[in-house]
Amino acid sequence: MNTHRYIVRAVLCLTSVVVAAPVRAEDSFAQICDKVNPKLVKLFGAGGFRGLQSYGSGILVSPDGYILTINSHILDTQDLRVHLADGTHYHAKVIAIEPELDVALVKIGDNKLKVEDLPYFDVMEAGKREPVEPGTGVLAFSNQFQIATRDEPMSVQRGVIASYSKLYGRLGIFEATYKGDVYVVDAITNNPGAAGGALTTRKGELLGLVGKELRNELTNTWINYAIPINARITVTQADGNQATVGILDIVEKKEKYKPLTPSKKNEGPGVYTGIILVADPVERTPPYIEEVIPGSPADKAKLQPDDLIVYVDGVLVGDIHTFHEVLSRYHPNQSVKLEIQRDRKLQTITLTLEKPKAKKPAAKK
Amino acid sequence: MIPLSAKRWSGLLAGLPSVLFLVVLSVRGDDLDQRVRKMEEERIKVIEKVQPAVVAVLTGGGSGVLISEDGYALTNFHVTEAARGPLMKCGLPDGNVYDAVLVGLDKVGDVALIKLLPKKPGDKFPYARLGDSDKLQAGDWSLAMGNPFLLANDFTPTVTYGLISGVHRYQYPEGTLLEYTDCIQIDTSINPGNSGGPLFNMQGELIGINGRGSFEKRGRVNSGVGYAISINQIKNFLPQLKAGMDTDHASPGFRLETDDEEGGLVKLIVKQIIPSDAMRRGIDVDDQAAVFAGQRLRSVNQFKNLLGLYPKGWRLPITYRRVNEKKQAETHETLIRLMGVQSQELPQPGQPQPQPGPGPRPRPGPGPGPGPGAAPVPNSPASKLYKAKDGFANFYFNELEQKRLLNSFHKHGEFSKATGDWVIRTTGTLFAGVGPRGKRVVADFTIRSKGARDRQNDLAQAIVDGLDYSLEPLNDEEKAATRHDPPDSGGLLMALYQYRQLLVYGDKGFVTRFSHGGAEPFYPPRDAQTKLDYAKLRVDAEVFRTRHAGVDGKWYFSMKNDETAGQLLGFEIWLDRDEDPCEVYLFDYKDVDGGKLPHRMEIRFGDKTYANLLVNAWKKDEGK
Repeated sequence: MNTHRYIVRAVLCLTSVVVAAPVRAEDSFAQICDKVNPKLVKLFGAGGFRGLQSYGSGILVSPDGYILTINSHILDTQDLRVHLADGTHYHAKVIAIEPELDVALVKIGDNKLKVEDLPYFDVMEAGKREPVEPGTGVLAFSNQFQIATRDEPMSVQRGVIASYSKLYGRLGIFEATYKGDVYVVDAITNNPGAAGGALTTRKGELLGLVGKELRNELTNTWINYAIPINARITVTQADGNQATVGILDIVEKKEKYKPLTPSKKNEGPGVYTGIILVADPVERTPPYIEEVIPGSPADKAKLQPDDLIVYVDGVLVGDIHTFHEVLSRYHPNQSVKLEIQRDRKLQTITLTLEKPKAKKPAAKK
Repeated sequence: MIPLSAKRWSGLLAGLPSVLFLVVLSVRGDDLDQRVRKMEEERIKVIEKVQPAVVAVLTGGGSGVLISEDGYALTNFHVTEAARGPLMKCGLPDGNVYDAVLVGLDKVGDVALIKLLPKKPGDKFPYARLGDSDKLQAGDWSLAMGNPFLLANDFTPTVTYGLISGVHRYQYPEGTLLEYTDCIQIDTSINPGNSGGPLFNMQGELIGINGRGSFEKRGRVNSGVGYAISINQIKNFLPQLKAGMDTDHASPGFRLETDDEEGGLVKLIVKQIIPSDAMRRGIDVDDQAAVFAGQRLRSVNQFKNLLGLYPKGWRLPITYRRVNEKKQAETHETLIRLMGVQSQELPQPGQPQPQPGPGPRPRPGPGPGPGPGAAPVPNSPASKLYKAKDGFANFYFNELEQKRLLNSFHKHGEFSKATGDWVIRTTGTLFAGVGPRGKRVVADFTIRSKGARDRQNDLAQAIVDGLDYSLEPLNDEEKAATRHDPPDSGGLLMALYQYRQLLVYGDKGFVTRFSHGGAEPFYPPRDAQTKLDYAKLRVDAEVFRTRHAGVDGKWYFSMKNDETAGQLLGFEIWLDRDEDPCEVYLFDYKDVDGGKLPHRMEIRFGDKTYANLLVNAWKKDEGK
């Protein structure tokens, strides 16, 4: 069925190219910029030290001043300020934050100071659109490097969707909290302060929010990505139930939105592999297998002592800590592909995870 | 389950390629494809047209662009700085290496004018036409050309293509006073070596000079954020650059801060003011600066942008508002003379320029590190086109401009033989000084050659409404009040003495200093009936700057492309740098013996008109 749907979509997509009025690539995007810019805001908040910028970008999602942005340290202040495209400034208050989606909703105006009739992106409408295909031309709008203040328009850049895929990134030494689908862009859009800006089609239709400055875990190169407006993520909650939320839920529920309570590491049900790693006396001990529990998933997959686990589903696991961290994202009955080094050769082994046998399955010998 | 469906789909799948083929065909046949091809062709045509004018500045490791057929080219100051001397070598896409010499510098704006020497005298260079950068909008396409990473051995420039990301951008000074105001932000890739190279619009017009990028943790390569100095800013400085000047940008003499209610419109309030023309014009702390140079003020960045467009010394209109003691809102419009921004902070030539490095702020820094081995060019024929002088990038070019303007000035009258006494007989109206305002008076002015008590120097005398005034301009012991005579004129006697110096002796009439000062706006006074509109009053004028008898002078000449070109429109004489000058405006040029001279003079001092005088006779004697 999936194949079928994909092909149909591909055909539709090609058709739409034919039907759509041809746009001259040489034509200026000035009108699009004029249309998009009033829906964007500049955010100013915490930061300004140790290389942490104190500014960011956001998009208006309602006429009464709700603003969607990327969750970041700049929101961590009592004095969050917003500059609108007309040059007016407002204090803003954080309404909801969803760390698992890496987004936040903030608001300007209140009963005393009403804001109304602001231009805004209809995100519900935008959320109905199918994700665009790789190769689609896009524009990115943001206040990167805090180039603009007050009524100065945001920076616009042009690029092409390079891929639509899962995000594996890290921010400094911390991993990115968001692990869902992203648009990867071929332009250098994710500069300081760009997070929360708008990624749009070349007609100015909203596609997503420009993400943070992240490095790819695999190549250590900077990635330029945006979180799609219809991004959804499924998380195992602390109570063991799974919950799925999207950006649109936050925009819809506003003040009533309750953030997810994901299971903390080692607190959830976890998974059972039957792998016992070498002792971890120092930081960054490579994940060498010490022992394989007979009858365990590891045993069934023919893992052996002295195997070095290099990748878990394509994610580089340089040390034991990272291995546990990566594995904690999985659920029982999921398959996981391990790249291991054995006798100086890399090989791929697929492991089907199981439910934990007991409280501490790996501790027993 | 799977095998079955696979079979079932196979039929459908077999049909699909033909559907896809049809669709693909229709795309290929569609005029979209032709349009894309046409655009590509147009783009290539534009590139081919402008490419010959792109310069590789070999000494200094940057780029540049020719803007005239006689070889003037623009580049960045930081590129010429890296050349470590006024002489350099430049490559053109014709494959040849040319000798070049530094002409003018704008260190604050990071612009330099250089001149390439033709292989044969009279050979013409290809050059780029200047566009109008104020017409650019974010979202427009652009072409950057230059020599990134010094890739091209044959000097064929690299072309990159991208969007204008923002216009009228302000970028704070980094380390030095080198500040990018009103610049064009681009996502068009620019990299080390692109510095000084041209940014073109899609019509192939020069709209900016690529100069810096926002670099942070990704290293000194394109980060998707580059900046070009707008060509309209450069146009304001170009006459000064051509005159070999080491120019300076403007500062207003006061500091503005935004002051606004939440949700309200932005007001810019004067927070601090130092002794300056702005202060003398009545601007005070807590006034709201509303309009500057014809633009409504909306943010501090925007105000800095506007200021950065103008050279030091320019006079521009400002509108400010205040609430007076009676709680009434007042609006005032006036002209202010802009101060400079450079002082001792700027490194002297020869001292190393601090290079912007990585740090916590966005890192706008010069694109190229200077190329290795930027050694001074020895034995260049361009060395004949260089003359060092303090305060100038290359005084040789100032002298060229002086000669050109003096020639043009002398077409209106040549009085070098009239070294004797001069008498100007006038009648007119006195609006200040001794007596009632608006009084009709007779005023005669005489410059007596060697009339001073020492029989060596000149004497300036006046009889205004029956009162006698006398001044020995070169006598240090004259009292300040005497030098300012007649009262409230700001020093009209001194001014007319200096005027005769110019008429009779030209550049030789000014002992301490005589230089070409580029071009500046000039505002002839309006008559009382006309509504005040500085934009309409403004005429652009070429300027001489002088210093003689301890006073500075600034002389404004018509640069209209007609028979008035080179005519003296007026002049300002400063008895003291911290005071207002005596302003003399000249009208009604008529033939006298030896050429044309003005037959109406309006004299202003500070905010007031001192007198409006009709000249009845010019009497000038030949020297004995």
